[in-house]
Amino acid sequence: MTYSLQFRDVFAAWEFMLDGLVLTLELSLVTMVSGLIIGMAGAAGRVYGPSWLRTTIAVYVEVIRNTPLIVQLFLIFFGLPSAGLKFDAKTAAMVALSINLGAYSIEIIRAGLQAIPRSQIEAGQSLGLSGVQIFRYVVMFPALASQFVLLMLATSVVSQISAEDLFHMASIVQSRTFRDFEVYIVVAAAYLALAIVFRLLFAGLYQLVFARR
Amino acid sequence: MIRELGFIDILYLIAAMRWTLALTAIAFLGGGLVGLIIALLRVSPALPLRWLGGLYVHVVQGTPLLAWLFVFFFGLSIVGVEVSPWIAAAAAYSIYAGAFLGEIWRGCLQAIPKTQWEAGASLGLSLAEQMRYIIVPQALRLAIPPTVGFLVQLIKNTSLAAVIGFIELTREGQLTTAVTFRPFTVYLIVAALYFALCFPLTQVSRRLERRLHVAR
Amino acid sequence: MSLVELKDVVKRYGQHTVLDGVSLTVEKGEIIAIIGRSGSGKSTMLRCINGLEPIQGGTVAFDGTVVNDPATDLRKLRQHVGIVFQSFNLFPHLSVERNITLALTVVKGVAKPAARDLARAVLQKVGLAEKIDAYPDQLSGGQQQRVAIARSLAMQPVLMLFDEITSALDPELVGEVLKVLEDMARDGMTMMLVTHEMGFARRVANRVVFMHQGRIWEEGPAAETLGRPKTPELETFLGAVLH
Repeated sequence: MTYSLQFRDVFAAWEFMLDGLVLTLELSLVTMVSGLIIGMAGAAGRVYGPSWLRTTIAVYVEVIRNTPLIVQLFLIFFGLPSAGLKFDAKTAAMVALSINLGAYSIEIIRAGLQAIPRSQIEAGQSLGLSGVQIFRYVVMFPALASQFVLLMLATSVVSQISAEDLFHMASIVQSRTFRDFEVYIVVAAAYLALAIVFRLLFAGLYQLVFARR
Repeated sequence: MIRELGFIDILYLIAAMRWTLALTAIAFLGGGLVGLIIALLRVSPALPLRWLGGLYVHVVQGTPLLAWLFVFFFGLSIVGVEVSPWIAAAAAYSIYAGAFLGEIWRGCLQAIPKTQWEAGASLGLSLAEQMRYIIVPQALRLAIPPTVGFLVQLIKNTSLAAVIGFIELTREGQLTTAVTFRPFTVYLIVAALYFALCFPLTQVSRRLERRLHVAR
Repeated sequence: MSLVELKDVVKRYGQHTVLDGVSLTVEKGEIIAIIGRSGSGKSTMLRCINGLEPIQGGTVAFDGTVVNDPATDLRKLRQHVGIVFQSFNLFPHLSVERNITLALTVVKGVAKPAARDLARAVLQKVGLAEKIDAYPDQLSGGQQQRVAIARSLAMQPVLMLFDEITSALDPELVGEVLKVLEDMARDGMTMMLVTHEMGFARRVANRVVFMHQGRIWEEGPAAETLGRPKTPELETFLGAVLH
């Protein structure tokens, strides 16, 4: 059976896909903010807190980092209702993604907090408090930016609990137009474009904040 | 047919782990092959080859794994190619793992100082001989901790194959939930099983990383 | 025909000209010391001779073969030109023996037992015969550098290039390396050394070449050039180095 690639039907559904894109962006941004907050609080607790707090946070981080996101998502969306906590798809998505990103952020920020600039050790003198602070953030930034882009791509997972993100909308378009190949290629391209935009934005932010020193 | 969650279900879940491991192994082999090619492309002296490798990495790292799974599973069957979940998963994961492993291994190759290449070249060794006797043996040592670390990522990512009906631990969890209506318990057990797989590997990777830095 | 012939060699790194029309001939058996400030192009000139640096103008010829010709088989050429680097560049994952025998077995096709004998012989020459099974990280800087020299010597080159080989060494380790060089000179090896060791240059070198801003500024017999500088630049340089 010969098959000709036809993207027209897919592009005709662009408004539909746009709705999905909006949710993907919403999820990404909300999660980045909450993930960052959890990350900063958790890292501070992990480095400076009392021993019981440090252990608790360490356990939280290890559990999240050694289990798959989709299982965490299912646990929260399908599992929690039997414990009395019922979320709708969108909220469950935000909670799961935040908890997930939070764990990775704690590790990254913690590494940044504990990084001592080489020059400080070698010169045997302090760079000055502000110099050390800046160095720590410089260390954290690219790793966090990387993690955020990964998170944005990972939001596609929420399509599996029928949250109407970009990926979910793609599936709907596919079931209507039967243009499987084209739909997912277009969607992959859309995510790629998003990833590029996000990376450029983060790189720009980095330049703005750090490169002027 | 609804039934109570019993010990037998837990055994089925544990048994499903072998498919998780099998898929991980295939992904690692396929991805390893692709990754090797990509790493070599990225350090090649020819600019178009470097560019090609870079393009591959950026495209794959900028797209969700789910997209690849769906492209291969749903997309290919429309074109008329019979695709089982196994083939689709093997292809998608190899492409995905290849990009990440390629990046890791490229970093390791580039971590070897240029002076090592020069010393080899000055003794009359060809590029291939430099790679084989001088660069790769050193890069291999560097590569082990991050590669083991990525193995953990791979194990976790196999969970997405459930979405195309591939039978592994997560899918088995979905099926068990459908029959027992106990999602909380089932997914908790599933999470625990993944943890049992991943955590030891994470620790191994950390220990290897520490040992490498002490030795330097 | 001279062993090494550089004619109007020009080399640029982007906008920056490192070698600005360098011409030099070296005969067999000569020992040339190359001196100058950092950035004067001396290391670059040396590295052009075995093809490690591509050039943008002029010609570099070794024993009649044009080095910068893209058709030249550099692999073959490099078996006759040995080079020792400032940072030794030993292969850390290989033993001293394997460092030396690697090129012998892989490039020259020498059989393993014969290669080991050769390794033992060159290590004897540099005074490190007992270290044959050691690993680089077990050796001092001076020992590593001597192994590096042995490694190059094992290929039985016609010309040896030395790129500031004592600059990275602790002062007390420099002597043992210079002694090896003096022995090599006595054995008749053709040597080109980029060096800061003026005493060594005066004692051992036939000719001294002073480089400045990518050009050969002064050139002549060792004692005369070092003792009676003709240009103010060389005078300033010697004044700064020999204080």
